Amino acid sequence: MTASQQFVAQVKNLSVDYHGDRGWSRAVDGVSFEIANGEALGLAGESGSGKTTVAYSLMGERRGASSVGGGQVLFRGRDIFAMPERELTTIRGRSIGFVPQNPMASLTPSMKVGHQIGEMLTFHSVPVPQGTQARVAELLDSVGIPQPAKAARRYPHELSGGQQQRVAIAMALACRPDLVVLDEPTTGLDVTTQKRILQLLAELKRETGVSMLYVSHDLASLAQLCERVAVMQKGRLVEAADTASLFERPQHDYTRKLIAAIPRIDRPPAGHPGATPAGEDEAPNLLEIENLRVSYARRGLLGFGKLPAGADTVKGVSFSVQRGQTFALIGESGSGKSSIARAVAGLARPRLGTIRFAGTPLAALARQRPLHLRQKIQIIFQNPDSSLNPRKTVRSILSRPLGMFGRLDAAGREARVAELLQAVRLDPAYADRRPHQLSGGERQRVAIARALAADPELIICDEILSALDVSVQASILQLLETLQRERGLTYLFISHDLAVVRWFAQQIGVLSRGAFCEIGDTETTLSAPSSPYTMQLLDAVPRIGASPAAAASEPERRP
Amino acid sequence: MALISLLAVSAIIFWCVELLPGDAAERILGRNATPESLALLRETLNLHLSAPERYLTWLSNLLSGDFGTSLVADRPVLDYIASRIANTALLSGFALILYIPISIALGVITAINRGRMADHAISVVVLIFMCLPEFVIGILLISIFAIKLAWLPPLALIGQANGFGDLLRLIALPTITIVAAMSAYAVRMMRESLIEVLDSSYVLMARLKGLPTWRVLLFHALPNALGPAINITALNVAWMIGGVVVVEAVFEFPGIGRLMVDSISHKDVPVILAISMVMTGAYIATNLIADVLVILLNPKLR
Repeated sequence: MTASQQFVAQVKNLSVDYHGDRGWSRAVDGVSFEIANGEALGLAGESGSGKTTVAYSLMGERRGASSVGGGQVLFRGRDIFAMPERELTTIRGRSIGFVPQNPMASLTPSMKVGHQIGEMLTFHSVPVPQGTQARVAELLDSVGIPQPAKAARRYPHELSGGQQQRVAIAMALACRPDLVVLDEPTTGLDVTTQKRILQLLAELKRETGVSMLYVSHDLASLAQLCERVAVMQKGRLVEAADTASLFERPQHDYTRKLIAAIPRIDRPPAGHPGATPAGEDEAPNLLEIENLRVSYARRGLLGFGKLPAGADTVKGVSFSVQRGQTFALIGESGSGKSSIARAVAGLARPRLGTIRFAGTPLAALARQRPLHLRQKIQIIFQNPDSSLNPRKTVRSILSRPLGMFGRLDAAGREARVAELLQAVRLDPAYADRRPHQLSGGERQRVAIARALAADPELIICDEILSALDVSVQASILQLLETLQRERGLTYLFISHDLAVVRWFAQQIGVLSRGAFCEIGDTETTLSAPSSPYTMQLLDAVPRIGASPAAAASEPERRP
Repeated sequence: MALISLLAVSAIIFWCVELLPGDAAERILGRNATPESLALLRETLNLHLSAPERYLTWLSNLLSGDFGTSLVADRPVLDYIASRIANTALLSGFALILYIPISIALGVITAINRGRMADHAISVVVLIFMCLPEFVIGILLISIFAIKLAWLPPLALIGQANGFGDLLRLIALPTITIVAAMSAYAVRMMRESLIEVLDSSYVLMARLKGLPTWRVLLFHALPNALGPAINITALNVAWMIGGVVVVEAVFEFPGIGRLMVDSISHKDVPVILAISMVMTGAYIATNLIADVLVILLNPKLR
């Protein structure tokens, strides 16, 4: 068997350069690997490591202002960048399928999903004896979409995130390709949906024997699907090995760092002091919430008429948070956890219920609360890209709360900005930068510094890690713990990721459809969960060391 | 909503015309008027009534479908303006038929060649047309095509047209003037929104699916880029309704724009009101159509 038959794709000493503000810079530097027939290769690395650039080059796509600086990409022995455009078009979609990172943005909004799958069959002249429509329904069925014929007539926005990703997978497999390139296919999804998608991919791989290149920053999910994993750092391939040995005997320092950063439900992260057990020192409650109900349902015309029964997004939730501790609200999207956060922060008016802060009942909306109470409750949002004003410098972002809550002169303010930046472990010189000049993790640090500027007692963290790489997540969590110890902060920490909060929060409340299905201290709740929903969430946490076969053999649960 | 707008517009126009000095009787009789003949004419034209009375009379007649009688021409207003409306509708219709494909085509060409020669060349021309007022464009076209090259007639006296071919020759210059002024904005808007769409993940996805370029452009990119251009078109049509007055004046075109100008100088209030009602109605209708089109194009709004 010659090399070109044995391998679906070979990347030989590939270099890619990007043209940026400061001339050309090398994003991918001499990367070589190959993907064997039927093999799934994982490509891991942080954002900016060049892994996505490599993945796109496998399809002959140069992203943005980039050019191939050297090397080759061979698909079935043929050089993809030397191919005429026509030939490339026949390989794309037909022989190489693609599953994008963000299915919502990657499906054409004005076109029915069935049509988007069908056009691939038509344009690649795939013979479909049963007719295009029937084949599309078959494909949708094979990726686990209920009522496939009906779903085919839907527009992308009418499907849930998980279903959109299933449609994208059906699309990638429509022409029975030899290779599928997956670009962070589960990153934007809930943990449970993530798990189901991974199971689906493992199943499809076994049934069709398709080869895969799976790009992700999340080593844990790579481990479940891939036989081999390659790790990239700053444009270079630092290590490639079969999955089991990579996790057991990582050779490179960077790989070890990545593995250590994975949140583990079974053991605390390295250097973790261990969360102080809850309830023993009986600290007073800082935040008490009683029978909170939030509703977005509108009453009938002009506000008259009854609310439809069960319309509340949050259905009578009560809990309390002790001073200096962390309470984690866990749940999937739509469970109401962000609505609780917004009600506590005074951003949304609850329909019913009381919120007491240090014993004082709070007014519903932030603008009705006295200044000193507003100052003591701060919120950090999920996406620092949109929560920081892109036109302002870090200095003016941090100065605003200082001017609002404090009486500092210009020099004092300047000193305080530097102090805040140091508190979040950023160079004080960053004060002159604007958000777009920072990385995602640095931006989230600035957002934390902004919350600290008000000198708060309670910080609400609304999914603040979900837009970040796993290794950056770990460092932000560490920072939050340090700040808690130094300043006695109390956190209301909202997340969908159990493994993240396992060692970080003393108390945990698991939300499902607007109500707690479990609440208590983290240790006991997670070691002996009583509700099936919690068990399901625990089950969905990726376990390292689980073989891909194990993930596939488990029958898929569909709601 | 539309009815309230129409009512408000009619009241404002009526009041504005009232503010102008003189009345229709004075304009008709001119310098030879004696106080007696003026009083007599005012009596026949109902001008002796107070302004609010005349407005309410006009309004109640309108509700029964009667636009009144032209004070100057002594003919029912509707008869009087119908042929003019038809002429203007013809001109606007031709302009729209040319405008839509030209704007889309130029927008697409500039967007897919962004930063290259074709984009720069078209963008410069478009910017020039954006800056020039339409009467300058009109006069420019007349001096080039009618006077220098003598290809087309300078005036659009379509009453003298001999068959369809002749009609096309007569209205070619005013049509081009309107299209040039209108397309400028639409081309830029089309270019911007298409560039944004071409950078989107779904267009990348469509290319990575191995679809031919034309398919990606026409089925994945264009339908999602048209929204802003349609909204601009609605504003353009609104402009056209007013701008047509100027263009008609330049080319001596017998449309409602010229009739409006003439009627104002004669203080022919019923005609002025009728024309403004037609214009406002057309404006509201185009906005409604644009909104419906945008909703039809975007399944999320459906």
